[in-house]
Amino acid sequence: MRYQLELTLRRAEGALTRVLGTAERRGFLPVSVDGHAHADGERWQLRMTVEGERAPETLQHQLAKLYDCLTVEVRPCP
Amino acid sequence: MNGARWLAQALVAEGVDTLFGYPGGAIMPFYDALYDVPQLQHVLVRHEQGAAFAANGYARASGRVGVCVATSGPGATNLFTGIADALVDSVPMVAITGQVASSLMGTDAFQELDVFGMSFPMVKHSFIARSVDELPHIVGEAFRIARSGRPGPVLIDLPKDVQNADASHLPPHVPLPIDDVEAPKDASLHEALALISLAQRPVIYGGGGIALGDAVQDFRTFVDATQIPTVLTLKGLGALPSKHPLNLGMLGMHGSRAANLAVQEADLLIVVGARFDDRATGKLAEFAPHARVVHMDLDACEIGKLRVADAGVRGDIRTTLAKLTLACAAHLHGRNGPARKAWRSQCQQRALQFAPRYDAPGATVYAPALLKRLSETAADAFVVCDVGQHQMWVAQHWQMQHPRKHLTSGALGAMGFGLPAAIGAQLQDRTAQVICVSGDGSIQMNIQELATLRRYNLPVKIVLLDNQALGMVRQWQELFFEKRYSEIDLSDNPDFIALAAAFGIEALHVERAEDVDAAIAALLAAKGPALLHVAIDTAANVWPLVPPNRNNAQMIDDDASPKETPHALPA
Repeated sequence: MRYQLELTLRRAEGALTRVLGTAERRGFLPVSVDGHAHADGERWQLRMTVEGERAPETLQHQLAKLYDCLTVEVRPCP
Repeated sequence: MNGARWLAQALVAEGVDTLFGYPGGAIMPFYDALYDVPQLQHVLVRHEQGAAFAANGYARASGRVGVCVATSGPGATNLFTGIADALVDSVPMVAITGQVASSLMGTDAFQELDVFGMSFPMVKHSFIARSVDELPHIVGEAFRIARSGRPGPVLIDLPKDVQNADASHLPPHVPLPIDDVEAPKDASLHEALALISLAQRPVIYGGGGIALGDAVQDFRTFVDATQIPTVLTLKGLGALPSKHPLNLGMLGMHGSRAANLAVQEADLLIVVGARFDDRATGKLAEFAPHARVVHMDLDACEIGKLRVADAGVRGDIRTTLAKLTLACAAHLHGRNGPARKAWRSQCQQRALQFAPRYDAPGATVYAPALLKRLSETAADAFVVCDVGQHQMWVAQHWQMQHPRKHLTSGALGAMGFGLPAAIGAQLQDRTAQVICVSGDGSIQMNIQELATLRRYNLPVKIVLLDNQALGMVRQWQELFFEKRYSEIDLSDNPDFIALAAAFGIEALHVERAEDVDAAIAALLAAKGPALLHVAIDTAANVWPLVPPNRNNAQMIDDDASPKETPHALPA
């Protein structure tokens, strides 16, 4: 199954690596990654497509626990 | 005042009184600062892994944040096993690592490693201070994160120039309050109550989250109010006293028959602060096959991660248990009474039927009997385990009174944990009785910490169960690898009595069962640190055992034949 993730992150050192690492380690392979810094310079907006067989709700909770993750939404890809 | 001095004073403001570490080049400004901050007792270990495990033990025993310190590069990597252990067992810790100066970072400088980057999978969070001005935010957040919610370790990587930078403009440190714990939603409590009301064969499955949530008394009240048979995970042991009539013991790979069979026959599992760990569930697809699940946990990640919850109750365990206890008292009276009574009776009969026996034949020491005897003699002691067969014997046979009194490397299973963690447990309360149970394999992973024990004259009592082998691996090779014993022989162990003496530690030896009581008495009577070397049979195994890829009803015992299988259940 493929899922699309929309994340808002603190623009902090290591934030992107932690998100990618968490998704991979928890069983979801990144398919595409796109992101940009907000104009305020404080946040990242990140959109990822991942695929995996585990429960997406669990990944959402695991990403939400990251200190630098401010919001995360996960939905199935159409 | 420089950044290092500001940090030392901030640690005092955070309530830190003890830290465990080892100096080196990139952390020297911080060690220089310690020279002038007598409120911080620095405990010099003999290997950085010992520092991390000691801080870990200190935190587990006290509930406070444990702090460890090391230099850059190898100092930091040596901390990582103890930090990882804190993550997977939810232990509040702050690790401070020196780093080469900012101008050298990224140049492959001497003792430079990307410790910040390496830390990601094994911390709750990590910071790297790029400027001294970031220190107030970083230190406040590090302690807040370590303490809040499900506790865990936080790493602060501190370049040398940041430690040396002028910090005189920084305000004194003010600790941040920990996050409020979310209360469970009423709707989820109602769902749980409905399932509990319907159940005829319920089992409570309690884990480490009970003690972490400071909910031991609430848990006991819930068990007593509902009269539901209870099984515990390794980290949950002590949440009910071992002798409580509803305590069926530990579940899982080395769990009791009564516990495992009850779970396999249950029609409802009430999971309290546990996470369906594979050592507890055995073959997950066949775990508790007839049961619906009520899962209570503070951490939303655990609910539904490995087993779908029919009712997931996310929130503070104490509040959850207190509300459910009240609701059950009002709603359960007489509901399914006869069926539940018969179920309870069946579970308790099994617990009696399969209770461990301690009358092993022969003149040699039977480790389970020694451990049971020791736990009865030192009933209020902290028991700190290493990893291996002795760890499972402690779990099975130690008479547990409280989960905070049982320190064990549960999820990581890190050999070498025991001795330094016992040092940490002793330093959080010098008047406490602390017993370290180790094996001849495990103790040699951090045996250098005998020097720390001696230096600080800590009255830790070490029970070294010596089977001259890596016993758990040997057991698996015997059972599942056709007795092809590969690299488990430790028959050339050092003379542990002489070794202890070289460190200045009093040591005793016992090898006959008839001498065990006297040996225990002599060990506990020692004024300072002491080691009891116990010679045990190399072939002794841990029973029962659920083989890999089997369900928990398929336990094997020392005759390698299946015992009682679950009763036939109504359709």
